[in-house]
Formats: sequence, C-alpha cells, structure tokens
Amino acid sequence: MRSPFSKQPPPLHWMPLDNAAKIYPAARRPNWTNVYRLSADLSEPVDVPTLQSALGTVVRRFPSMAARLRRGVFWYYLQELSAPPTVREEACYPLTYMSKAEARRCALRVIVYKNRVAVEIFHSLTDGNGALVFLKTLLAEYLERRYGVTVPATHGVLDRHDRPAPEELEDSFQKYSGALPASRREHTAWHLSGTPEQGAFLNLTCLHLPADATLAKAHEYGVSVTALLCAVMMMALQRWQAEVVPLRKKRKPVRVLIPVNLRRLYGSRTLRNFVMYTTPEILPQLGDYEFEEICRIVKSQMGLDITPKQMSMKIAVNVNSERLMAVRVMPLFIKNIVMKIIFNTVGECKSCLSLSNLGMVQLPEEMRPYVRRFDFILGVQASAPYNCGVLAYDNTIYVNFIRNICESPLERHFYEVLRELGLPVTAESNQREEDDDVLRELRR
Amino acid sequence: MYCANCGVKLADTEARCPLCGTRAYHPDLQREPAEPLYPAGRYPDAAQKKRVWSILLTVLFALPIPTVLICDLRFGDPGLTWSGIVVGALCTLYVMSVLPAWFKRPNPVIFVPCSFAAVGGYLWLLDYLLSGVDWFWTFALPVTGGVAVIVSAVVTLMRYVRRGQLFIFGGALVAFGGLMLLIEFLMTITFPPIRFVAWSLYPLSTFVLIGGWLIFLGICRPARELMQRKFFI
Repeated sequence: MRSPFSKQPPPLHWMPLDNAAKIYPAARRPNWTNVYRLSADLSEPVDVPTLQSALGTVVRRFPSMAARLRRGVFWYYLQELSAPPTVREEACYPLTYMSKAEARRCALRVIVYKNRVAVEIFHSLTDGNGALVFLKTLLAEYLERRYGVTVPATHGVLDRHDRPAPEELEDSFQKYSGALPASRREHTAWHLSGTPEQGAFLNLTCLHLPADATLAKAHEYGVSVTALLCAVMMMALQRWQAEVVPLRKKRKPVRVLIPVNLRRLYGSRTLRNFVMYTTPEILPQLGDYEFEEICRIVKSQMGLDITPKQMSMKIAVNVNSERLMAVRVMPLFIKNIVMKIIFNTVGECKSCLSLSNLGMVQLPEEMRPYVRRFDFILGVQASAPYNCGVLAYDNTIYVNFIRNICESPLERHFYEVLRELGLPVTAESNQREEDDDVLRELRR
Repeated sequence: MYCANCGVKLADTEARCPLCGTRAYHPDLQREPAEPLYPAGRYPDAAQKKRVWSILLTVLFALPIPTVLICDLRFGDPGLTWSGIVVGALCTLYVMSVLPAWFKRPNPVIFVPCSFAAVGGYLWLLDYLLSGVDWFWTFALPVTGGVAVIVSAVVTLMRYVRRGQLFIFGGALVAFGGLMLLIEFLMTITFPPIRFVAWSLYPLSTFVLIGGWLIFLGICRPARELMQRKFFI
C-alpha cells in the first residue's frame, strides 16, 4: 500500500484495451487511423481558457478516455494522462490524421472553432456513446464555469467530482460473451470508389432533416428511424451501383454496417467500447429492389440480429480468438501483422460503409438554452472512401457524410431518395473553393 | 436558397451545391455572407514529421563518411583514394533522395537538374580519382548533360503545361534517339579502339518510330480515339 507521506504522485491508471479496441491499432495505416468526432455548437463563441480548465477537471473523471496508447510486449494498453490535452484549433477539414506518435501522447483531441467544441477520439478508447457522455460532461462543466448554471448529473451527464466507477471501466465484451460463436462467413460487398481527393482532404457533407417528419415517415413504413435511413442509404447505393455497373450479373451485394449499442441490450454502464453490428443486405444481381421491400429486409434483419442471444454469439467470435493461448503469447509485432490481415480479409470489405446512428441526444434542461446543435462524424474507412454518422438534436436529424474522394454520388442519390419520400433536406459542407492556394498547388 | 439543378436547400455557407456542384446564384436574392463550417485554407501541419525523417536520414548518410575517411587514411595507400568514391556516391545519393525532403513542396523542375548536376560531379570525381583514359569531358559530360536537358524539359513541361502530353513524350523519345547517335559518336572519339559501326541507328529508328507515333496520335484525334477504344484498361 502507498504510504500517505509519500511525495511521489499516485501511479497513473493503466488498462488493457477492450476486445473491440484491439483491432484498431493493428489495422492502422500510414494515412489512416480509426478516429471519429463528436461536436456541439454553443449559442456563443467558446472561451478557450474556460474550456481548458473545465477539461482539466473532466479528464480525471474519464481515465479510460483521457488516455494515451502505449505498446506492451504482447498487447497495447491505455495509460491515463498526467495532464489534460491542450485545446486545439480547427483545421479546414475534420478528423485530420492521428499519427502513432500523437496517439502515444494522447489519443483524444479537443478542438474549438468559433461556437463549436469538438472531441476527436481514437476508436480504441471508446465508442460513440461513451464519447457522447464525455462531451456532455465536458459541456456541463464548461457551462457551469462560464455562465454559473448548475447542471445536474442526469441525461448522460456524469458528476465531474465523482470517482470513476469500476463498471464504467470494465470490458463488457468479456462479461457478455456467449457460449456459441457466430459464423464470420459473409459475402464481400460492393466496393465504393472514386477519384482520390488531393492532399488527405476529407469532404464533409451534412444533411439536415426534420426529426418529427422523418419519424412520421418511418412509422408510415413500420420501421425505426435508423432502419429508414439505412433503407434510404441502400436504395442510394443500389442506384449508384446501377449507374457504374450496368451489367446486372456483375453487380455485388449492397450491405450497410449498422453499429448496435449493446449497453441498452445488456444494461451495461461501461464507458469503453461496447458495440456490435448488424449488416442488412440486398443482392442487386437478383433485380431492382423497391423502397418498401428494402425497408422490410432491413427491419427483419435488425429484428433477427439485435437480441441479447444473437449478439452474444457475435461477441463470442472475437472474445474466443483473443482468449486463445497461442494468440496471447504471440509478440505484439506478429499479432499486428495477423490482425491486419484478418481486418483486411473479413473486416471492412464485408460492407459498403457504416451508418452509425447515436439517436436523439438528450440534455438536462439547464444546458439546452446554451447548446444549438450536435454533430457526429465518422472517419472514412481504411479502404472504402465513405462513412456516415447520424444523430438528432432539437427536432433536427444531422446526417454527416464523410468521403476522401472528389465526387459526391452517394449524397446526391441519398438526397434524391429523401426527396421522393417527401422529406425536406438542407445541405451544408466544407467544400474547398477554387481559390484555395493549396488546392491550386496540388492540382498542378 | 435552393440549388437550381437538384433542388436541395442550401445552407447560407454554401457557394456551390455540395451534391451536384452547381453554383448557388439567384438574380433576385442577395445572400448574406455566412461563417464557413470549417476554416478555409487551414491545413494540418505535417512538416514536423517530415523534418524528423529528414534529420534522421541526413545523420544516416553522414555517419559513414568519417568512418571511411579514417579507414582509408589509416589502412589504405597514402592520401585519399577509395574513400573519395564512397563519399562522392553518398553525397550524390543524398542530393537525389534526401535533399528534396527538406522542403515542404519540393519543385521537381529545380531538383531534377540538381540531381543530374550531382551525378555529373560524381562522374568528374571518378575520372579524377581513377587515373587512365580521360573520359569525362569528351564523353560523360555531354551524355549526362544531354539526358539532363531532355528529362528536365519533360518534367518542366509536364508541370507547367496542362495539355499535350503526347507531344511532350513523343518529342522526348525522338530527342533520346538523337542522343543515341551522339553517344556512339562520342564513344568512338573517347575510346579509340572502338569504331563507328552505326549501332545507334537501331535505337534511333525505334525511338523515332515510337515518338513519331505519339506525335501523330497527338495531332490526329480519330486515331487517338481508336487507340483509346482498343487499349483502355
């Protein structure tokens, strides 16, 4: 036990990566890391010194998130930061490359641009739901310091002065792994492609939809909002593929990966990764699908997959692999090679893109006047150029498309399907203008 | 404002429709300039990592130099002999591979001639250190210079001229054919037993044929389209 008279600072927390997190450091590439962003737009410009001091308080509550990624001999691990990260300035595109060296220093970024506070997180730390709790708690602390409001610890805001509970830091995959593993066998999906964007730039297109009208439309088709958006996405992908692959028999399956928050399913309180996925699929080789037909397929596929028993089988596949003695004693550099091969062969290629919906963001009443908007932006996939993050706040659904190619066919088709459904859409983006010096230089 | 082409409602930040690229314009509507979603033109700085690599590579290139110099002075013949060749080769390689990495956006129009100058300098050093036939001024310099001029011209034209690649490469191939003739002529005057047997006419005719064909494709659009139809990948 540590002596109370010791002048040494207390040892920093460290923890092994959770089951889902292990793949991300291994799957990293020289120009790609699995990073995503959550941001909130406030009613007034952000005061950076106040936010920095709020961050100093909040990071102590989230030792698994304010962390750096370190290498062991056999596994990577997370180590709590000794000091909070410095608040950074925004670049002209979100999710700039997080190098190995940066993740080793701190795998979490806090970024400010005018009214916006954004957190960018390496996926090994937590999933979108965990990051949302972090962002809400950070905003609560900031608003308390800036405006003197008292924010209760409800609606996903944690008490900043509590100590982290053990169940918040647990690897829930180990706890809820099933007795039987599911099969990994799936068709390879259609691979999206386009003209690569110059200079690592990422194009962001945000579509705004009215939440009430979208919910009413989803009810009209007898599905949830996530299923409706997934059906719209699959319809858009079907049309895009028909454009670029005219010969029907050469078309590939259209499959969308939908992450499933397992906390609700199992009642877990963990703040680390705890998501699995479902992958609704259509086979355009068989013929064109109607929108109602796709809705039925998505609904039945989600209904089959999103049950505790089915998900425990999916968890068991990864947990069983991790528990193998041969895998555990393998040195990390060999493990990285093996995991990268597995990721490339049975990972991303099984779906066209991810559609991750965090659902309706709830805030305590005290915070609502100060927060105008939330956004959830996934990074592009390692080999596929698109991804899509969705959330809803204050009767608006924000659908954020990110891509590293120049063309925007998916957004266009997605919008056209929404227009046919009668949903009003507003679009905004971070597109570069022709007078951008760097763009002009790159095009030479 | 709504996009005139696809009909999507555009946020005030959009100068063009992000879905179809149509410029947002309405003759009767005056738009208020809005704050962009992200700060325009502010790119993440990647120079730091590049600089670290440049320093590391410079150290890696510099380390063998004192070692070979000491070995040559200590164990070799009096004076610097073979170490000069090693040091010269390292310096040439450094100029060609590492020197551009010190710059944020190295311009090949500058660095390609620099690389040829380094190669020329190294060849002069070899000629100087290895006593025998004096081949630098009559052979190595004109040949290196000729290749440097052609390659630099191709690089410059490719960088600053947007169209006409077929003419550029066609012209370069014809020039290379001419260079072959020059090489054979220089070999006969530099290395006396060698006689002019006109072997250079074979590469010359091949280069001129291919280069001429490229130039013809550049001029004749139907032929160019036919080739595209037949050979697209």
